[in-house]
Amino acid sequence: MADVTRPLGLFNQIQLVAELRWRVLRNSLRKQSSRLDLFGLVLAGILAGIFVVGVCLAFFAGAYTFISEGRPNRIALLFWAIFVFWQLFPIFAAGFGASFEFRTLLRFPLSLSAFYIIGLAYGLAGFSAIASVCWLFSMTLGAAAAGLSVLPAMLAVVTLFLLLNVTLERLIGSWLEKLLSRRRTRELFVALFVLAMVSLNLINPAVNRYGVWLRVPALRIVPYLAWLPPSLAGRAIASATQFHLSGFVLGSTGLLLYGVLFIVLLWRRFANQYQGEELSETAAPLAAAARSAVTRKEAPDRLSALSPQVAAILRKEFRYLTRNSFSFFTLLMPVLLVLIFSAQFVGKHPPVSGHGVSSEMFFPGMMAYLVLILMGPAYNCFAFEGRGIQAYFMAPLRFREVFLGKNLMLLSVLAVEIGLSMAMLAWRIGLPSVPMLIATLAAIVFAVVGQLTLANWSSINFPRKLEFGQMRGQRQSGMAVLMAFGAQIMFGGVSAIVLFSGRWTGNPWLPAEAFAILAVAALGGYFASLDPLSRVAEEKKEVLIEALCH
Amino acid sequence: MPEVAIQTQKLSRRFGNLTAVDGIDLQVATGQFFGFLGPNGAGKSTTIKMLTGLLAPTSGSMQLLGLDFAAHPVEVKRQIGVVPEGMGLLDRLTGVEYLQFVGRMYGLDRATTQRRAEELLDFMQLADRPKTLIADYSHGMQKKLALAAAVIHGPRILFLDEPFEGVDALAAGALKALLGRMTERGTTIFLTSHVLEIVERLCSHVSIIHKGRLVAQGSLEELRAGISGEAGSKSTLEEVFLSIVGQDGTERPQLEELSWLM
Repeated sequence: MADVTRPLGLFNQIQLVAELRWRVLRNSLRKQSSRLDLFGLVLAGILAGIFVVGVCLAFFAGAYTFISEGRPNRIALLFWAIFVFWQLFPIFAAGFGASFEFRTLLRFPLSLSAFYIIGLAYGLAGFSAIASVCWLFSMTLGAAAAGLSVLPAMLAVVTLFLLLNVTLERLIGSWLEKLLSRRRTRELFVALFVLAMVSLNLINPAVNRYGVWLRVPALRIVPYLAWLPPSLAGRAIASATQFHLSGFVLGSTGLLLYGVLFIVLLWRRFANQYQGEELSETAAPLAAAARSAVTRKEAPDRLSALSPQVAAILRKEFRYLTRNSFSFFTLLMPVLLVLIFSAQFVGKHPPVSGHGVSSEMFFPGMMAYLVLILMGPAYNCFAFEGRGIQAYFMAPLRFREVFLGKNLMLLSVLAVEIGLSMAMLAWRIGLPSVPMLIATLAAIVFAVVGQLTLANWSSINFPRKLEFGQMRGQRQSGMAVLMAFGAQIMFGGVSAIVLFSGRWTGNPWLPAEAFAILAVAALGGYFASLDPLSRVAEEKKEVLIEALCH
Repeated sequence: MPEVAIQTQKLSRRFGNLTAVDGIDLQVATGQFFGFLGPNGAGKSTTIKMLTGLLAPTSGSMQLLGLDFAAHPVEVKRQIGVVPEGMGLLDRLTGVEYLQFVGRMYGLDRATTQRRAEELLDFMQLADRPKTLIADYSHGMQKKLALAAAVIHGPRILFLDEPFEGVDALAAGALKALLGRMTERGTTIFLTSHVLEIVERLCSHVSIIHKGRLVAQGSLEELRAGISGEAGSKSTLEEVFLSIVGQDGTERPQLEELSWLM
């Protein structure tokens, strides 16, 4: 008869989970590439520490000033700052978090209450929670330094606020997990998230243009904010400093009710998870439709000019692009960026620069920026292949054909994007002079083709697997990012010098001629590099397969 | 057609201090259904990866269909099909798109690729989900698709790493019949599997690798004959395998050590 295990205490379970997280982190550093990343992590840790301590001082000073100068109502602003940071930062930072699935703990004999408390403890271990707790502590110290009598009220409110925030953060995380459990939803969410972030840049021009009209509806919203947790916390503290018991009770009770509501909602979410909620999208397979997989009549091959292998890779790349909602949506970005920048920097009264930038300078600058963002993925071009990378090494081809297929796809996307952006620029501010237009187009050929050679080399040497439409744990290889950064500075610098040479010499056609020569040289270099790169790929195939298949 | 489909000389692969494959000399005749066996970590997958060009040997050489792999990698790859460990699928394509991709990568024309893809998907019972991405296939469906991709160009040597794992009994039966027919027509099949009953039923010849070294090679009858005693000729492949792998003093797990579980 097998032994029967004894139930483990809650503290021991939390301790085990903490040890588990530590071991996951420690073991991940065994790989050479991860050790290189450790340097970045340490640096980020030091910077984050400086940031937290600096903000602690600000919160201490803020709380002290508001209370000692008789403006306790303003302490709500500090609570708002913490609330927004605590709830939003985990969503923003999801991409950098350790990829540990909290739900995997469910296979162990945990009670629901233990699962719930471990979940909360897990939430308190995040950067936003630790930083926020530090700031709340600093606020408490600052308030106590201004008037010791406010300390009990401060401790009570801060405790409630802390409990409420950690519960809400876990609740939002849990809802997001459910929402994003389907691949398509996940990809759409990530894409919309990125677009939303980029669109924030439109706020400034919008406020400048429609600020007067927006002011009245915006002010109407303010009274409703008073019933949200940070305002309630601020009201409770303000009332306590003025010895208004009713205000303190109202604020604290409001916080308590919010806390209870979030606890109930989180308990229900965790209970669903605990009972085996299935989030996987393959749980309910589609009903099989009895029809043939290939029913289309054969269409003429539009890629017949290419070798079968290059054409096959080009088609595959196009399909991958259309099925990666994130990449697909980010294709909207260049045009959107042209709109944003042209709204901010160009025209008669640009809100940012004060005096408008001429299209003669804005056009090449904008194109350089587009090349910069569109070329980024090329430096890790096998990121989404996963185990499929083996198909390239099993097939009877040389790797130059793989590069050609992939690079052709990128060039097609670039051509479309730059065409659309030029159309947008022509509509918004007009095109530059003919010599500048031709010089810029030649510069694009030079910069893109020149970078492709380096990007192909980087993709072989510093591969990093990325998953479609996932935020958590998605990080490019540090070396690939460095490589892209260096190459873009180099090409950008050379291009800028050549571009300005026209002004310095007074010959407007000089940049166009120089860029044409550079573009031809870059093309020659690119084709000359394909065979050596094929050999490097063959030598590095184990690195590639290891990095992308696991 | 050369009589020897696969031949290796002192083929080795080291990972740092670990020698995963230690100077093996393999010989597989054309048209053989060849089983390549070994315990976990013995070096089976490493050997298959070397034979299919996914891993470079540290030393030694290999010839497939009479061609030296190192000198003629593209020509060799054109004539082999592989179901690798992990299957190597591009999971953002649909089944038919993946087969079309693989067919074209092997240089088939579009019409042939399309026709074969359709026939293979029908045979593998995957034709009823034309729009489903491979990422959404079950493990067994992915395995069947990987098999379809491995044969779409009509390879002369087929490397199969655990091909029936996760495949339902109906499809497995049809696949075994197909593989049997392929060997009758001269295709060489190099199979690894931990399910010894399957190997015993399908394979005419077997090699056993243990701790990176080839410890036995021959027909099933030859291996059985190698076991001493009268029972040798009636032994199952499992008994032969356990007998050979246990010869070097490797201790088999003792149930007594887990007395608390019984």
